[in-house]
Amino acid sequence: MKCILYIPVAALLVGTVHAQGTGSSDESQFKTRYSVSVIDDATFYGNLREPLPGVLNQVLVEPSFGLHYRDRLTFSTSLIGLTGTYMDNYSHVRVKEAYASDSAGDFDFTAGRKMVRWGTGYAFTAAGVLDPPRNPTDPADRLNLNEGRDMVKADWVRGRHALTLAWSTAALAPANTDLHDTTAFRYNVLVHGFDTSLITGHDRDTDSFGGLTFTRVLGQAWEIHGEGMWRDQAAVLLGGKFTMHSGVSFIGEFYTPPNTAYYRDMSIFALAGRQHFAFFNASKTRLRELPGWKEWDLSGSIVANLNDHSYAGVFDVNHWFGNHFSTYVHVEIPHGAKTSDYGSTPYSSATSAGVRFQL
Amino acid sequence: MSKTNSVLRWFLALFFLAFLLTYALVSHAASLPGLDAEALLKRSDAFRNGWPAYVVNVKITTYEAGKSDEEHLYEVSQKGTDKTYVDFMSPREKGRHLLMLGDDMWVYLPDTSRPVRITPLERLTGDASNGDVARTNYAVDYSPVFLRSEKIGSVDCNVLELTAKRKGATYQRILYWVRTEDARPVRAEFYLTSGKHIKSATFDEYQPYGGKTLLHKLTLYDEIRHESHSVLEYSEATQRNLPDKLFYQGRADRF
Repeated sequence: MKCILYIPVAALLVGTVHAQGTGSSDESQFKTRYSVSVIDDATFYGNLREPLPGVLNQVLVEPSFGLHYRDRLTFSTSLIGLTGTYMDNYSHVRVKEAYASDSAGDFDFTAGRKMVRWGTGYAFTAAGVLDPPRNPTDPADRLNLNEGRDMVKADWVRGRHALTLAWSTAALAPANTDLHDTTAFRYNVLVHGFDTSLITGHDRDTDSFGGLTFTRVLGQAWEIHGEGMWRDQAAVLLGGKFTMHSGVSFIGEFYTPPNTAYYRDMSIFALAGRQHFAFFNASKTRLRELPGWKEWDLSGSIVANLNDHSYAGVFDVNHWFGNHFSTYVHVEIPHGAKTSDYGSTPYSSATSAGVRFQL
Repeated sequence: MSKTNSVLRWFLALFFLAFLLTYALVSHAASLPGLDAEALLKRSDAFRNGWPAYVVNVKITTYEAGKSDEEHLYEVSQKGTDKTYVDFMSPREKGRHLLMLGDDMWVYLPDTSRPVRITPLERLTGDASNGDVARTNYAVDYSPVFLRSEKIGSVDCNVLELTAKRKGATYQRILYWVRTEDARPVRAEFYLTSGKHIKSATFDEYQPYGGKTLLHKLTLYDEIRHESHSVLEYSEATQRNLPDKLFYQGRADRF
């Protein structure tokens, strides 16, 4: 398996040598980017139904570094160092992204671990076959814990058309995930305002899939998006966003996946049949209209399983102090029968508070 | 008969006088450089867009009640009149980028799961809106009409009324003062579809970059929250050979 991984990397390096011959002399040869984020997070669980600790403490250090050579070559890495205290103390380092890419003419070649986002859904995705998993109670991944997929990818871009061929291996995926080697193809085009993608591919040892995604802006305030994917059965997502003059945004989504192994949530019974979910979010970043509230962001969401009538309410508050520090509170309140999707959560509330430093 | 002839002669004389007057007015108006509003607007755009493809750094400092409140840094890459890519460089925005392709706009946020389409209303958010940074070719977005000539301070200006001609335009209407001498932008007032006067701008400083005189400092005044204004400082404008791929909407995985 490792040999297979070395081949595209070697091809990339050959391309690198070739690419060095071009580039205008008035441009700087190297550009570097870096950022560091440190998060101290504490989560308090209310009314635990199981003998578990009531507090989870975590410290995350997330450095990112990017090197760009002559607008052609890119090396980028992003790590997550995590230390936590729950049932016991633990520390580990995760590789969020680590990839090299070469841009030659209309082609881009990439090898390594990389985040790809093909799905258009905010809280759910049916067609994001290589995307990090969506968590509808934390769609923004507030602790930046999502990791990319290990892949070799070739993109051809001309005008508003783009073709992508990607092969992703599951060999290096975390042990608790159910990923397979995936070969996927995407054609993306912007036509009459529709940002549309056709996606098809195959998961090794399982099934083939094919689907479509779109986004479109309508009028002054509406955005609509959708995904449809056939993988044994159809999974469909439809959503929209409405923005008010005041800057308050509303996002709504309806998602119906089949209850198959690929789409099934861990808390859903295997014989439960097709599931239907709804998501609604209202948010406002920077309450600048209120004196003294310019540095505050507010967001409230509700995600519901329409089959078993369980739901979770989520409330986020974020406050900035200058350009580098912010504090936040994230509250999740699940509700429903003990055997239901959200009601089976072993707590009645989870309140996270934290401090974030960004450089 | 002679009475009829006399009346006809009067009519003829009046018609001739009216013709002369109209001709004089039209020829005087044609001699004003500002009357070719389209050409004037294109000339004024050249003070903000020096080359067909270029990169410029923009620093936006927001002032509240006269005090510096916060700073944002952007690297803006522009190609042609309808492709703009904005890289957010400030610590609290690092990793974000904004793409404008014709009438369509996307924002890529590191903490969301996908590229986000921006509605026209969202282009207006912030002290300096996304549109203020990303859409600087007014001749592409607006139809100009020459209104009048007047002085701003000691500067002779032509006043243009710009009306949005495509949905990608940030504002519905702009009143635009450009210097009579060379069409250099001097002042602007921005209006929404509702007619509300939302912002004003003064084009304060120009500097030479690569043999061209380009805008260096622009101040945006919030006409709704009068205590707030933003200063946009442009620096290191450089002509660059930008690949089309930089402006591809599906490329959320940017450097």
